[in-house]
Amino acid sequence: MFKIISYFFLATLFVFATEKPPLTIYTYDAFAASWGAAPKIKVAFEKENDCKVKFVGLSSSIVALRKIQLEGKKTKADILLGIDTNIAEVAKKTGLFLSHNLNTSNLDLPFPYDDDTFTAFDYSYAAFVYSENKVKNPPHSFEELVSMPKDFKIVIQDPRSSTAGLALLLWVKSVYGDKAGEYWKRLAPYILTITKGWSEAYGLFLKGEADMVLSYTTSPAYHIVDENRTDIKSAPFKEGHYGQIEVAGILKSSTHKVCAKEFMHFMHSKTFADIIPIGNWGYPVIKGSKPLHPAFDTLHKPQKMLLIDGVVVEKQRKAIINEWLRAIQK
Amino acid sequence: MATSDTKVTMLQGLLRFKGAVFPGVFISFSLLSFAFLLFMTLYLAQNSDLFTALDSGIIGLLKFTLYQATLSTILSLLVGVLLAWALAHQSKFKGRSLLVALFSSSLVLPTLIVVFGLIGIFGRSGYLNEMSLFLFDHSFGSYLYGLGGILLAHVYLNASYASRALLHSFESIPKEKYKLAKSLNFSVFERFLYVEYPAIKATFLSIGSTVFLLCFTSFAVVLLLGGNPSYNTLEVAIYEAVKLDFDIALALKLALVQLSISAVLVVLSSGFRTGLSNLKTSVTAIPWKESRVLGMVQWAVIGLFTLFFILPLVVIVLDGIGADFSRILGDALFVQSFITSISLATVSSFLTVLIALLLSNARRGFTLSTRLGSKPFSKVLDALIAFSGNLYLAIPSLVMGLGFFLMYQKYDGSQVLWSAMALLTANVLMSLPFALSVLTPAMHKTAQRYDKLAFSLGLKGFTRWKYIEYPYIKSSLAYVFALAFCFSLGDLGIIALFGSDEFMTLPWYLYQLMGSYRTTDAAGVALVMLVLVLGVFILIPRMFRGEM
Repeated sequence: MFKIISYFFLATLFVFATEKPPLTIYTYDAFAASWGAAPKIKVAFEKENDCKVKFVGLSSSIVALRKIQLEGKKTKADILLGIDTNIAEVAKKTGLFLSHNLNTSNLDLPFPYDDDTFTAFDYSYAAFVYSENKVKNPPHSFEELVSMPKDFKIVIQDPRSSTAGLALLLWVKSVYGDKAGEYWKRLAPYILTITKGWSEAYGLFLKGEADMVLSYTTSPAYHIVDENRTDIKSAPFKEGHYGQIEVAGILKSSTHKVCAKEFMHFMHSKTFADIIPIGNWGYPVIKGSKPLHPAFDTLHKPQKMLLIDGVVVEKQRKAIINEWLRAIQK
Repeated sequence: MATSDTKVTMLQGLLRFKGAVFPGVFISFSLLSFAFLLFMTLYLAQNSDLFTALDSGIIGLLKFTLYQATLSTILSLLVGVLLAWALAHQSKFKGRSLLVALFSSSLVLPTLIVVFGLIGIFGRSGYLNEMSLFLFDHSFGSYLYGLGGILLAHVYLNASYASRALLHSFESIPKEKYKLAKSLNFSVFERFLYVEYPAIKATFLSIGSTVFLLCFTSFAVVLLLGGNPSYNTLEVAIYEAVKLDFDIALALKLALVQLSISAVLVVLSSGFRTGLSNLKTSVTAIPWKESRVLGMVQWAVIGLFTLFFILPLVVIVLDGIGADFSRILGDALFVQSFITSISLATVSSFLTVLIALLLSNARRGFTLSTRLGSKPFSKVLDALIAFSGNLYLAIPSLVMGLGFFLMYQKYDGSQVLWSAMALLTANVLMSLPFALSVLTPAMHKTAQRYDKLAFSLGLKGFTRWKYIEYPYIKSSLAYVFALAFCFSLGDLGIIALFGSDEFMTLPWYLYQLMGSYRTTDAAGVALVMLVLVLGVFILIPRMFRGEM
């Protein structure tokens, strides 16, 4: 038995010694998953560039950021991909990230985002998603949501660990302002559970544990394209929808800076823009070589996008989260 | 002159027993300095004043932590006493010893596995809801997440453990007392109040305080079943502060609050904590039958609890068998976490046995009159050693983890190395109180019985160990080894802070699977862990007894 273990040990050492570590990208699990965008992006990027890529999926993008903070300068990550503009300021403050030197003025975003450290690669709008077959009268505003029958249950994400959860928090804050805490008190009875990341919440919803889940206006496209299922819809809210611009940045400690910069460049290529809509189910930040998949025409595209500036969010984030915690604590 | 005499003899005595006493004293002081270092690391790392910084959030956390711990303790004790009482009076039925042995195995069942099984039964899509949906077209919903689930899991884990120790006290009640109670025509209640309660009181308080401490510092159960930031304990809040907010200052504040309160609790309860009770007992039957009604009540208690206890385990087996084992066993992460867990468990159980032996050897040196028992300072040293062995109860694992984490950030060394060290330390400290409660009395007795003979024969060192201690405590050693192995294998505590794709244990791997809703794979891994833990717990002691 001991022999076997020591052989195994030697073998792993050997593998570590001979293989040059690939360009390592920390991201959220839905992106890195076999059914996510990562495999297609890996193939396309490696074909055009002389770099090997490895995606590491964490339970959420904020967890990925925290992992990098925990590992500090010793981190294996070269790129952090998938946080959004709301949390990007927190990442910038760590001082662990590098300027990208890309020209981002030509990006096609509904809300301008021009930052020297992080750069956008897709965007969408936060929305509650439900199945038409189960929910006949979905709510069309936050007020309608809290006048649903008592057994109507939603799943949301923890704003401390999930960008989706944070987006909802800021959504409610932009709509209700000082009354946000009071609104959360009214919403609390409808919350089935609060998950750490988006995939856990979405998994619960698909298993039928909840009637509605906090996700994105673009989520139904996945069910149309991949599953040929048209009953999954996002509920348009009168108050407008909070936007989510997903961004990526390079680590200062990266040992693959050339490859990392090439990857950042690649994020603004037509190839990438073709993959994102039907891989990560979000809008691309530049026009692809083909028009968007027809499924996207059936989606609700909000007229009004709410988005609080990242710097403002960072100033108030702690206070807003504490207000939320106090409101939902029993 | 008298004082200098005792000094000389103390010195002579120490020299005479140096081999027996010094290693234990050394380890005990190392443990205490470790605790001190840990406290200083935490204390120095935090810059704001602890007492002014107790905001309403922390007070709220503290309130809920104490509230759930109190409720859990009361319920666990209630169920534990009822079960022990029923088992004590139904002393002759087939499978009773098996049942009792099964209940005592709850001590080593990994919390994560228990929760997994409970979700399988009581969860929103668990068997109970499915059945009720099928029969009455009504689902109870997701009542498991929140306070209800936390209480249920705590009662599962602690009531069986409490009942095992309480049963021992019930069975040690002299039968004459029962005869007297019968001749005085006591009602069941009077019998309990005047005969049984006085006999179990000491164990009741001792177990009660231990259960309270365990629930107060509960981590895995709350992490999995809290399901909501509104049901957080301090331990989970520390984890979230580090892993979700990267707010080390908040984590430190919480850790110091947690540390101070558990330290106070340990000191307060040390008066009636007589050591975690030894699980070995003998059965002497009460020579008459209970009345029919009473008998039925007792049978109902036993039956219901057995169902409650066994069903989650059955569910793990049923769900686990259906898993695709070729895929699980082929997963590199599974293999990695399996090897890590087994290696850690082996090393930490060897260390636990060694440290527990040295500590108990030193303790008997300081308590026995044939040794240094009558010498000054002996009592103080003995108390210090005893306290150092129970450090785990005062230092919750997440607090310890945070300390290690800060040291890792401060000093060099790879993350894997620091993680392994943190886990080993936590696992050894976690097993020590139980190991000592088994080994200390056994070592004490061997010395009492054989010291005079051994001294006159001049048996020393390894020879003495081989002919005197080893044969006598062999089976206890095996029990301690198995216990430590299982504790380590099932531990979901510090790994939550240190777990990564490079350093993963089986419980952490399983937790990841559950989080990503790979339910069938999770069921398979849960079954592997269950089989491993029960296998080790049953087989290792048998191997040592030469029954295999």
